[in-house]
Amino acid sequence: MHSRRLSPRNRALLFLLIGVALLLASGFTGELRNYQGAQVAIYLIAISSIILLTGYSGQISLGHGAIMAIGGYGAALSFTLWNFPFEIALLFGVLVGTLGGFVLGVAAARLSGPYLAGTTLALAVGLPSIADQFHVLGGEQGLNFDIGDPPHWLVRLEGSDFTQYKWFFWISTVVALIALWAITNLLHSSYGRNWRAGRNNAVAAGLAGINVARGKVLAFTVSSALASLAGALFALLLGLVTPTAFPLSLSFAIVTGAVLAGVGNLAGSIVGGVVLVAIPEISGALTTHFGDSQKVSANLPGFVMSALLILVVLFMPNGLRIRRFKSKKTL
Amino acid sequence: MFIDTLLIGISSGAIYSLMALALVLVWRSTRVVNFAQSGQAVLSTYIGYEIGVSTHNYWISLPLAILAGAILGSLIDLLFMRLLIGRAKAGPIAEIAPVIATLGLLGLIQSLIGLIWGNAFLHYASPLSGKGFTFGSHTIPFSPQNLFIVVASAAVLAIFGAIFKYTDLGLALRAASFQPEIAQLAGVRVSRVRNIGWAFAGSAGAVAGAVITPTSTLSPNSLDLLFVSGFIAAVIGGLDSLVGAVIGGMVLGVGFSFILQYIGGSVTFLVGFIILMVVLLIRPRGIFGHKVSRRA
Repeated sequence: MHSRRLSPRNRALLFLLIGVALLLASGFTGELRNYQGAQVAIYLIAISSIILLTGYSGQISLGHGAIMAIGGYGAALSFTLWNFPFEIALLFGVLVGTLGGFVLGVAAARLSGPYLAGTTLALAVGLPSIADQFHVLGGEQGLNFDIGDPPHWLVRLEGSDFTQYKWFFWISTVVALIALWAITNLLHSSYGRNWRAGRNNAVAAGLAGINVARGKVLAFTVSSALASLAGALFALLLGLVTPTAFPLSLSFAIVTGAVLAGVGNLAGSIVGGVVLVAIPEISGALTTHFGDSQKVSANLPGFVMSALLILVVLFMPNGLRIRRFKSKKTL
Repeated sequence: MFIDTLLIGISSGAIYSLMALALVLVWRSTRVVNFAQSGQAVLSTYIGYEIGVSTHNYWISLPLAILAGAILGSLIDLLFMRLLIGRAKAGPIAEIAPVIATLGLLGLIQSLIGLIWGNAFLHYASPLSGKGFTFGSHTIPFSPQNLFIVVASAAVLAIFGAIFKYTDLGLALRAASFQPEIAQLAGVRVSRVRNIGWAFAGSAGAVAGAVITPTSTLSPNSLDLLFVSGFIAAVIGGLDSLVGAVIGGMVLGVGFSFILQYIGGSVTFLVGFIILMVVLLIRPRGIFGHKVSRRA
């Protein structure tokens, strides 16, 4: 799984380099690409939350869209209600999502397989309705999370063509890289090893002195922190949160992305993120090519995505990878 | 008002029971929670709709839709699930492969329906009135179609119950789900019996779709929430238990109906989630689920 291991310092340098390269690249791309780049970064965080949960800790969640909603609402609420600066609002969203994830994780650690899938599914369907119940959450209209124009010092530094979408792209990219770097380190630590041990053989791990149940709760909590971070950034990109912004299909989409990435393969989350953003784009182009039909344009993306998902599960269970890693025994 | 709410609850509970039953049948036969169930049911309903449009007769379209559901279930097992179970065995994907694959199948079926019929709401008409029964001056919300829903669901549940309890096929189905290897040794053709389980499940879902759809509209996603309710019902009852599925469905249907009446419609699934959570925390394998002994 980890055929090339970088030392922590080199890994940090690598992430820094990627970051600088991406930020420089954003100067040469249009508005739409910047927007999509931000989407990829957000999906990447969400997908890595599933990879951590499923690939490493062996739990499943079909309700991470709901946890993204908690993050988004937490951020937007603190932004509109208490006028938090947006950076703090993002962190507040993560905090709320992490707490929610902890509560869920305590319950989730007792459940297995389909029972956990069902519970999280019910959460994904049920949670958005909370927004209707409390006036402070804005009901159907949702909450505003419009952070306005990029700060003056950046515009002065980067020139007047520094648009809002480029600003969002910068935020999402930097946050995604920091998050990915942190998870990589975490997965290489004893926590990551304990999760894998618990997933591969819970009894053996228990005998070796690992508290498997506590590990599962921790994994669910960390995974929720990531998902709520993605949700908060998603709200930032949309400029608002509404109950319908986090549908069941979002939960399914990020699980799909994780499967395309290969559920045990963190680096693959980039592939997953790109594919999730690219499929609607490609099928949009295909639709125009074959004459604009309402039926086709509405259903082709779903068709392509589902077909790809099935093909990957059947024929490439380790995800879409260009180079085949030799499957080394984990542990 | 109390009786009205109860009657509506029984009607939707019957549908949840059918959906839950379909899930339990597949779970018992293949140990897979079939997320494609709502897709299969809605596709069968579309087929019923199409036949209904061309023959102008609901009573011809209904059995054909059920037959279509059975064939569809059987084909999915033959062409898809066997391939999947043979393949995704190792690695982190192994545990979630069935969930993911059936989710993919759901997306595939629903987008195919969209490509063929479009996403507009269609009306699958039934000759039974959707208007409530009237007693004197009081009209209750329970209509002849609702009554038919309850009767049809009860009939399906009774037929399946009888098959499981009194026939050789039922015995084979139970044996194949309880101890597949031993059943095989005892001469049960386990893979064929499993396939029959899938066909039964497909037909149960088709009944649910074809009897509920005349009360609302038909679209590729129109049965999704029904499926989630059915899933919650099945898990509450314990995925292993047919009786549990029916009881879970009924409890949930009546419960949702009262929530809808006295609290408001938007929180129903949140309450469903809370009920599910409480039940599973007390009994992690559902109320009627069997405890499995611990295996290393």
